[in-house]
Amino acid sequence: MTTHAGMGIKVLGVNHRTAPLDVRERFAHGAHEVPAALQRVMAAGASGGVLLSTCNRTEFYLLAEDEPALEAVWALLGERLSSGPRGEGAAREYGYIERDRDAVRHLYRVSSGLDSMILGESQIQGQVREAWEASRAQAGPVLHRLFQTALHVGSRVRTETGLGVGTASAASAGVAVAGKIFGDLAGRTALILGAGDMAELAATCLSDEGVQITLVANRTQERARAIAERLGGRAISLEEAWAHFATTDIALCSTAAPHAVVTWERVGSVIAERRGRPLCVLDLAVPRDVDPAVGQIENVFLYDVDDLQTVAAQATARRRDEIPAAERIVEEETDHFWAWYGGLGVVPAIKEFRSRMDTLRAAELERALKQLDHLSPDDRARVEQFSQALLNKFLHQPTLALKEAAEQGRGYGLLEALRRLFGMEPPA
Amino acid sequence: MERAWLLCTVIVPLHLIALALYGLATALALAPFIGLRPAAPRALAIAFPCAGAAAHVVAVSQLTLFGLGPALSMLALCLVLLQLASERLLRGSAVSFFAGPLATGLVGLAILSGLTPGAETATSRNAWFVMHVVLSVLGVALMALAFIAAALYLLQFRELKARRFGQIFQLFPPLERLDQLNRFALVAGFPALTLGVLLALGYGARFAGEGGGGLQAAKAQIVWGLFTWIVLGWAVWVRVVRHWAGRRAAVASIAGFSAVLLVYVALKLVEPGVGRFL
Repeated sequence: MTTHAGMGIKVLGVNHRTAPLDVRERFAHGAHEVPAALQRVMAAGASGGVLLSTCNRTEFYLLAEDEPALEAVWALLGERLSSGPRGEGAAREYGYIERDRDAVRHLYRVSSGLDSMILGESQIQGQVREAWEASRAQAGPVLHRLFQTALHVGSRVRTETGLGVGTASAASAGVAVAGKIFGDLAGRTALILGAGDMAELAATCLSDEGVQITLVANRTQERARAIAERLGGRAISLEEAWAHFATTDIALCSTAAPHAVVTWERVGSVIAERRGRPLCVLDLAVPRDVDPAVGQIENVFLYDVDDLQTVAAQATARRRDEIPAAERIVEEETDHFWAWYGGLGVVPAIKEFRSRMDTLRAAELERALKQLDHLSPDDRARVEQFSQALLNKFLHQPTLALKEAAEQGRGYGLLEALRRLFGMEPPA
Repeated sequence: MERAWLLCTVIVPLHLIALALYGLATALALAPFIGLRPAAPRALAIAFPCAGAAAHVVAVSQLTLFGLGPALSMLALCLVLLQLASERLLRGSAVSFFAGPLATGLVGLAILSGLTPGAETATSRNAWFVMHVVLSVLGVALMALAFIAAALYLLQFRELKARRFGQIFQLFPPLERLDQLNRFALVAGFPALTLGVLLALGYGARFAGEGGGGLQAAKAQIVWGLFTWIVLGWAVWVRVVRHWAGRRAAVASIAGFSAVLLVYVALKLVEPGVGRFL
């Protein structure tokens, strides 16, 4: 990691590795909070900013000098823990900063799913896109380019490696197992027992695959109704649910009951009416909702949390083998970006800078020569040569410094300084 | 003289090329199951049998469809073509797990049995006869495909019931697709075989008493042909009329195909020889 200060790309924030869930929850920014947060950081001196906030991370990507924009971010995050310097200090404890090339690499790893809690998960790609779009007004050309390329890197990693292949969560593993029974899940029906977060997440996964969530059964009807309405089903009581084991293709069980609620006595005779049609039962509850005896019935395929986690773990293990290939792509793309960023506008800026200085020189020379009418043509030529030589001497060192900075990937910061010092217009 | 030249320069070399390519495809299909390497790239798993089938088609087009060798070669070709078609349907290469070794073995046996008939007759050049052979072999190949789908179904069923998530779970197609493939193979195989049998009967009646042009079928051939037709008809009946599906239908398919094979072997032992396919 580079340690230099000054204008450059920075990322600072917290993620699932540095902060527990309860802290991450407090740092999380809703979409409506993003513009205000970025405006505050921009007011502190950043010339570009994008805020990426998901359940696993809150990260500010900035084009800024180390101080005071970074201080503004820590202060902003700290306020969410507690007021005053105590909160700011605590935020720093959970946070991290990456600079320049490391910041670029960091975002590329994030968008590829290499930095995700579930290795290779693809949701992050959409979240990076949303963050970029939500911050468009504040991003600026460099961060625009950075996020655009980050999405490209994410796509490359997913198409050129197996990092995103397979299923990596219990809910998606349930979908995969059901898919191994039914093939295409579109048009299949599912009965949901329970209305907790896990049931909702798994039901959403099934719904995303085209499964019709026809019924949601729960002890409290309000919660069941809310999920059923959202997923296009109907809420029923648990007692009504047993009869539907004769017709549904998938039964997803995730109640908070302390003992098995789906027993052989309740559903055995109903399942017999299926005449051999397969029934996939996904038991996501702990303690289990489904009596293991139900799984003994022919054509009933019963899976509990351990089974589904086994499937998910296998997928994760296979994904780990793909890390080196994914990291190679990230490194290669980081090099590309860095080459672009390093040389960003340096050549045209040097040209513009020299041309501007030359115009000034010519104007001043003309004014001076008007007052020196007595000079012979030879002397006038000598004065002009002198002005030219002087300008070249003055511009030699800044030109060299700019070229060197560009080669080291730090051209953008110096260019910004040049533009501010000499009032040059930023590139279109 | 011309046939001997054809045999040496075209038929046998092309069969050997097909054998090698089918063997490679089989090795690729089986490798993940014996822990040698991850599943082969899909393009390679398709390219080998495709290239083998191309060589095989050219070789079969030069064959006289008479005798054990040509019949086995034809059956292997039909099986490979059905494998390619069904794998496209299933979007996976699991059918080759069984079809690969079976086709490779059949081509090997065809080469060993001899690929040229004892004598070329007018019968072997007759379009009716060629249609009869092609449709009958296609019917048997579809029956073999139904057997393969049923075997894959039972293996995947066992893994899913036992909650094992190994290579079979990963690489084999979903149960419902295998069940559909089994049903399709049986339903398509029955009319093909029926037409093949009817063509033989019509052909026999049409050319009866025309010497070399008439159909000369041995009793064993007739017995096996009818037995195969009855078994396939029964398998279709239980699927279509009795609505058997899933595990029960798979077991029925396997039992039916095994019975057909056993009867063939028994008849072959009773009446050995390679002049006819049986």
